[in-house]
Amino acid sequence: MKAIPAEIEIAALVGHQFPGGTYKIEPWENFLLTACTGAQLLPNGIAHPVALFHVPIVGSNTSIAEMFELGQAESDLSIIPESYDWEMFEPLKEEVTYDISGKIIAAERRQNERGQTYDWVQFCFEMTSPENRLSARSTITWQYTRNTL
Amino acid sequence: MSDINIEGTGDIKSDAIHCKVGDKIPEWVMESVCPERMRTMAAILRDPNPLHWDRDAVAALPLGLGKRTINQGPLGLSYMVNMLHEWTGPESIKRIVMRFPQVVLDEERVVAKGMVTAIREEGGKRLADCNIWLEHAGRGRLLEGEATVTLAVPS
Repeated sequence: MKAIPAEIEIAALVGHQFPGGTYKIEPWENFLLTACTGAQLLPNGIAHPVALFHVPIVGSNTSIAEMFELGQAESDLSIIPESYDWEMFEPLKEEVTYDISGKIIAAERRQNERGQTYDWVQFCFEMTSPENRLSARSTITWQYTRNTL
Repeated sequence: MSDINIEGTGDIKSDAIHCKVGDKIPEWVMESVCPERMRTMAAILRDPNPLHWDRDAVAALPLGLGKRTINQGPLGLSYMVNMLHEWTGPESIKRIVMRFPQVVLDEERVVAKGMVTAIREEGGKRLADCNIWLEHAGRGRLLEGEATVTLAVPS
């Protein structure tokens, strides 16, 4: 059995702010991402919305690995994605530099229906256009399993 | 609405403009979830989770999945994005919320499906709320959620 982090350490994650930064989706990146989805490139330089997963993470100067570490993941295998909420206020575009911010908005210890303990952590990232319009918001909810996987 | 589109971006479906509650969204089919695409995605995402590229790591889990790799959540979600784009156009999605009750495995055939649950107006735009899901013939719904899309105004 691996040691489970103290519940107070998990709760203290709420409000954690990532450094923030900028991100520009390059055409080659959009090409590869779109191909991975099985679709054809979208017209007029529109980026495939699948970019809404990693662009906010990288653009806010964090990483999937750091997000795993913040919740004291037991291993890279121990995270279960619960939900992704993508709000698109305008289409994302290639070659536009977005300002990106991100923080942890919720974190708490929970138990599933089988009585297994996990930590429930919610991250929220926002992308703002050069014209200072909120372009997109991504809310990621992950379960950090404890001695389950 | 029985159109089925396989890995392509076709024209916007004309019946989307006139859709009503209860209508089905034309399906989008991924004939075989490709492990090579998972590896490309893992590199772009800088995702350290070996479940997406190491079949032995998946086989070692107490989940009985065998030697398969697990598709990234955003990739499974993207199949429903593709479905919505083909239905209402590449700028139409306003919100998509997705949950992941089951994993998607390499080489599986999965079908993105959806149904209109509400038609409403907001900020001068006509919107459709939809239930959407990703279905496997043997295992049922693998992913499920909701989406809101903008509809073109009927002429």
